[in-house]
Amino acid sequence: MNGKHLGFLLLAGCLFVPQLQAQIKHIEMRVEGMT
Amino acid sequence: MKQHLQRQSGVANVDVSLIDGKVEVTPKEDGKVDPTQLLKATYDSGVSVAELDMTATGKLVKDSSGNLVLQVNASQSFVLAQNGLSKGLEPLADSATVLTVRGQLFKKGAGKQKKSEFSAALKLVLLEVQRKE
Repeated sequence: MNGKHLGFLLLAGCLFVPQLQAQIKHIEMRVEGMT
Repeated sequence: MKQHLQRQSGVANVDVSLIDGKVEVTPKEDGKVDPTQLLKATYDSGVSVAELDMTATGKLVKDSSGNLVLQVNASQSFVLAQNGLSKGLEPLADSATVLTVRGQLFKKGAGKQKKSEFSAALKLVLLEVQRKE
């Protein structure tokens, strides 16, 4: 792998990793009137 | 109600506790679940929602009005209600810091619940900052 490809992979990693981490992990609701 | 919620987009699993009236929703791995849609689906199943809390990971940004916003993915963000915790996080706005927070997105008002309550822009009241990276 040459330096150009390695540089591209590093850049792609920096751009996409934070996007993948960002998300809703858990939701909890308290409800009334459930039978 | 459980089946109704499980059919919603982005939902992996739903746990219902009849004793304490708690409904726990586990999103799919992509985390692209819409809390407003869950509120509407719960209402449609004939149950009133008293509160909705969520744990989310994202970056803080400031919108054009200067509000602090938690951006959880390219198409989903939540305006933060101002409180002590959110004020303390203001220096992190528009930085690369990724935060994991727990907050309250909905709390039932007085009187009979209406579906339109869920259409209004809901603000996330921060309750806890679990992680900063």
